[in-house]
Amino acid sequence: MNLRRTRAIFRKEMLHIIRDPRSLVAALLQPLIMLMLFGWALSLDVDHIPAYVYDQSNSPQSRDLINAFQGSRYFSVTEVTSYHAIEQAIDKRQCLMGVAIPPDFAKQLGQKQPTQVQLLLDGSDSNTASIARGYAESIVALYSGQLQAPVQTAMGNSPARVSAEMRVWYNPDLLSQNFIVPGLIAVIVMIIASNLGALTIAREWENGTMEQLLSTPARPSEVAFGKLFAYFVVGFVDMVIALVVGVFVFHVPLKGSVLLLLVSSCLFLFGSLALGILVSASFRTQLLAYQMGSFISFLPAFLLSGFIYSISNMPRVIQFIALFVPARYYMNIARGIFLKGLGVRALWFELLLMVFYCVSVCYFTTRKLRQKVA
Amino acid sequence: MIRKEFIQALRDPRMRSMLFIPPLLQLLIFGYAVNLDVDNAKIAWMDQDRTPESRELLSQFQGSGRFNIAGFPDSERAMQKMMDGSQVDAVVRVLPGFGRDVVRGRATAVQVLVDGTNSNTASIVSGYASQCIARFSNQAMQKQQKTKMYAATAESGPVHMSMPSVDSRTRVWFNPDLRSRNYFIPGVIVNIITLVTLSLTAMAIVREKEIGTMEQLMVTPIRPPELILGKTLPFVVVGLWDMLLVLAAALLLFHIPFNGSFWLLLGSAMLFLLTTLGAGLFISTVSQTQQQAMMATMIFFQPFFMLSGFTFPIRNMPQVAQWLTFFNPVRYFMEIVRGVFLQGSGVEALWPQMVALAFFGVTILWLSVQRFHKQLE
Amino acid sequence: MPLERTQESGVRSQNRGPAVHLDKLVKRFGDFVAVDNVSIDVAQGEIFGFLGPNGAGKSTTIRILCGLLAPTSGSATVGGFDVSTQPEDIKKNIGYMSQKFSLYDDLTVQENIEFFGGIYGVSDEKLPERRDYVLKMAGLEGKRSALTRELSGGWKQRLALGCAILHEPPILFLDEPTSGVDPIARRNFWHLIYELSGAGHTVFVTTHYMDEAEYCHRVALMYGGRVIALGSPAELKTSLGAGHLLNLESSNLLGAMAALENKPGILDVAVFGGGLHVKVDDPGAAIPAIYKILQDAGIHVMTLDSITPSMEDVFVGLIEKEEEKKAA
Repeated sequence: MNLRRTRAIFRKEMLHIIRDPRSLVAALLQPLIMLMLFGWALSLDVDHIPAYVYDQSNSPQSRDLINAFQGSRYFSVTEVTSYHAIEQAIDKRQCLMGVAIPPDFAKQLGQKQPTQVQLLLDGSDSNTASIARGYAESIVALYSGQLQAPVQTAMGNSPARVSAEMRVWYNPDLLSQNFIVPGLIAVIVMIIASNLGALTIAREWENGTMEQLLSTPARPSEVAFGKLFAYFVVGFVDMVIALVVGVFVFHVPLKGSVLLLLVSSCLFLFGSLALGILVSASFRTQLLAYQMGSFISFLPAFLLSGFIYSISNMPRVIQFIALFVPARYYMNIARGIFLKGLGVRALWFELLLMVFYCVSVCYFTTRKLRQKVA
Repeated sequence: MIRKEFIQALRDPRMRSMLFIPPLLQLLIFGYAVNLDVDNAKIAWMDQDRTPESRELLSQFQGSGRFNIAGFPDSERAMQKMMDGSQVDAVVRVLPGFGRDVVRGRATAVQVLVDGTNSNTASIVSGYASQCIARFSNQAMQKQQKTKMYAATAESGPVHMSMPSVDSRTRVWFNPDLRSRNYFIPGVIVNIITLVTLSLTAMAIVREKEIGTMEQLMVTPIRPPELILGKTLPFVVVGLWDMLLVLAAALLLFHIPFNGSFWLLLGSAMLFLLTTLGAGLFISTVSQTQQQAMMATMIFFQPFFMLSGFTFPIRNMPQVAQWLTFFNPVRYFMEIVRGVFLQGSGVEALWPQMVALAFFGVTILWLSVQRFHKQLE
Repeated sequence: MPLERTQESGVRSQNRGPAVHLDKLVKRFGDFVAVDNVSIDVAQGEIFGFLGPNGAGKSTTIRILCGLLAPTSGSATVGGFDVSTQPEDIKKNIGYMSQKFSLYDDLTVQENIEFFGGIYGVSDEKLPERRDYVLKMAGLEGKRSALTRELSGGWKQRLALGCAILHEPPILFLDEPTSGVDPIARRNFWHLIYELSGAGHTVFVTTHYMDEAEYCHRVALMYGGRVIALGSPAELKTSLGAGHLLNLESSNLLGAMAALENKPGILDVAVFGGGLHVKVDDPGAAIPAIYKILQDAGIHVMTLDSITPSMEDVFVGLIEKEEEKKAA
């Protein structure tokens, strides 16, 4: 590979990028919009679930139970005066959960009898609903336990109470931002690969400049790497913006080594850009290249990488396909470094895959370009 | 004019495949990939007690059907490695003395170490784990109660024993199995209609611009409203067709319950198409090439889609973002579709959303037509 | 626009044989034979014209010679290097200008020149000198920081040519360099080609403008993938087959044409500009015969002269002959 020729292509490509502010803005804007959305607006964390309570007992006991709900940060409680009101509110999506306390609630408890409260859940959003259900049931169970304890002691019993001691590692506040922002870097890299990288060679074919380029002594590898380095600069800037915003604006904890994160991100970026260029070399029109680029880089990075939706929940076939999604391994690295503070020793396999990804995609890209020459 | 568009849309094999392949592909990928359920949480079991009681707790976890025991680490390091490598979602650690405490009736605890990386999975897994432990606790308590009672009856005849307790009986409406697929697939329908009609409209107009037939059309006596109608009407049909296609697939392939009125869904879809066609028209006025139109479509589409409540509940958003979603037509259509599918809601519940859709549709379409008009002149 | 000879001293070629040598070259795309058994030698310093209608296989041949396409069979050498085995060496020794204008629109004149300088490996010390030479040659000195897309067609062609000769290649391939350029710009462009040839460059040029063929030292006529005639323009004109050309002007061209067709001694009649071109066996006998025929038909003859055929006549004549052969 001749460095002078590679440099000439690199310079030329940089000029293209600068001269086409519209595409550059598009390439930078989309990641920023996503960063803002995911960092600020979008979250799967369930709290302040609107719950309507219909207290037919209206007794100190039922007040205690309602207070238990009110005291939890997961619910915001509104009291209503009919069962029908709960039903209506669920229908109109004003509340997600209804709690109905029966009229004989206090009486039953006073007689040391078992009693029941009814929980009514809107299950449409199954994720929120199952979390809400878990919280609500454990509040009721806790309340029940509190009632029993004095009775037991009074009877001279010492009940064996086994409690769960929960410890959350890595993301103790269970903030979904901490989960999503590191993964978002992979998605952003893929957007750049499909928005910029996938177009670069298709554009040269469309404009006829590719033929000109091929008649010169420039070798396919020089064309590929000259372009790669130019887009690498753009992608790197984008990535650093994402990292800085993630850490300083959204306060995602960065526990591991910044250097390791940068090195592995650069590997992933380089490989993904090469993938974009490979797509570009395979489809000679920009439109087709853009569509295919989105289809094989952006979409899997978004859907099949564990970015939001866990891979282990998917059907086997899709899990198998997901094995070939590089973004997935990068996500392990990014989250591992960010949240778990992992080092090379824990991540060597993923890092090795990143190197393999880079090398193999670069190889196929130069080969594809060479085929077009002959 | 309208006929020309139809013929063009159907003759171009790329367009023809656009009518079938992307909607179905999207439905399949989204349908299978988009899922927030935690069916089988992988946990590691670290038993430092090794008593019959700890084994009983293990069988409680295994019998719940919600956990998959992925390993039995025997050291702190082995456990750390499993957590670091994301091989498990949580580790349950039974400390020495657990069995003894249970037998003697002393309060004791089981440690559950949850990988919080994925906050959503983590909350669900910790919920499951506490339930299992609570159940074990209750059973242990009852067992002791029983032995005590036997002892008591043996000594001094029957004793009336009762215990106050509160039980929760949970009824889940609309989606009783809490399957997230039932929630997401109706959303995918919204996604597909939006994307297909938005991008097709924008691309079709920009293509005419690109190849210069727009100028040709403008020297004919055709009037701008006719032109716009001719350009957009075929995509109304395409959009509705895609909806039917995906709807059929959702019902037959994914067995999503459909509780509402089909005609209400169809009517709302038409209202919604006003918006997407208007937005497509707008994108075509700001783009010079098909490629720009494509990118503009994506940039437009993403925030609207993300802020529609598709995956991320609007309720969880900061207040400002929640206000913003009032200006998002996709949000209203999403609510209607999910309402019709899962809750079987009718017009009486959904009319505010429909009014909002109509309002946005007419406004956006009108503004885009104005802009398009100006550009023609 | 005279060029300083001294700057051209760099054109060199170690190769003592023909600059371009084609031996039974064949290129097939599926069933379609684009280049059919073509053998040509082009001498060093020659301006060699490649003529033919669209789709005759001219561009395909040039692409093979530039190493962009592999031949199906046969062989070719460019500057002594084999196209199949040494394409990299060829690329260092040629300049290529493709059919479609293919510089970067969004780069300035100077940036384009510097880019190609970098690609062709012109050294940093030498680049300013070459750049100034190209700017001067193309007459773009005042526009070096203009974006290329703002240039008119003629300037663009000159710039493209300039970029193709930055590295002083001994051999230049120009694929329809003047298509879509106005006549004055075309003339200027050919002026440049002459100078380059004078400075020792071999120029291999395709065109479908017949008047441009006159500028070439030698031309090859291509039709259906085959070379159907090869020689200097003068040779081709005289070898037009048995026959001489007469130019006839009359007030009633169509009548004259109808009257003359299929008459003995008259080989062909065709409308040409404002008159008729009549091909005959023997002008001495034919001229009086034509006068007689037309007089009988009541058609007034304004002029009737013997003329030398233009390349267009040669071209049309040869192709008609080919088509007759095919039909037979």
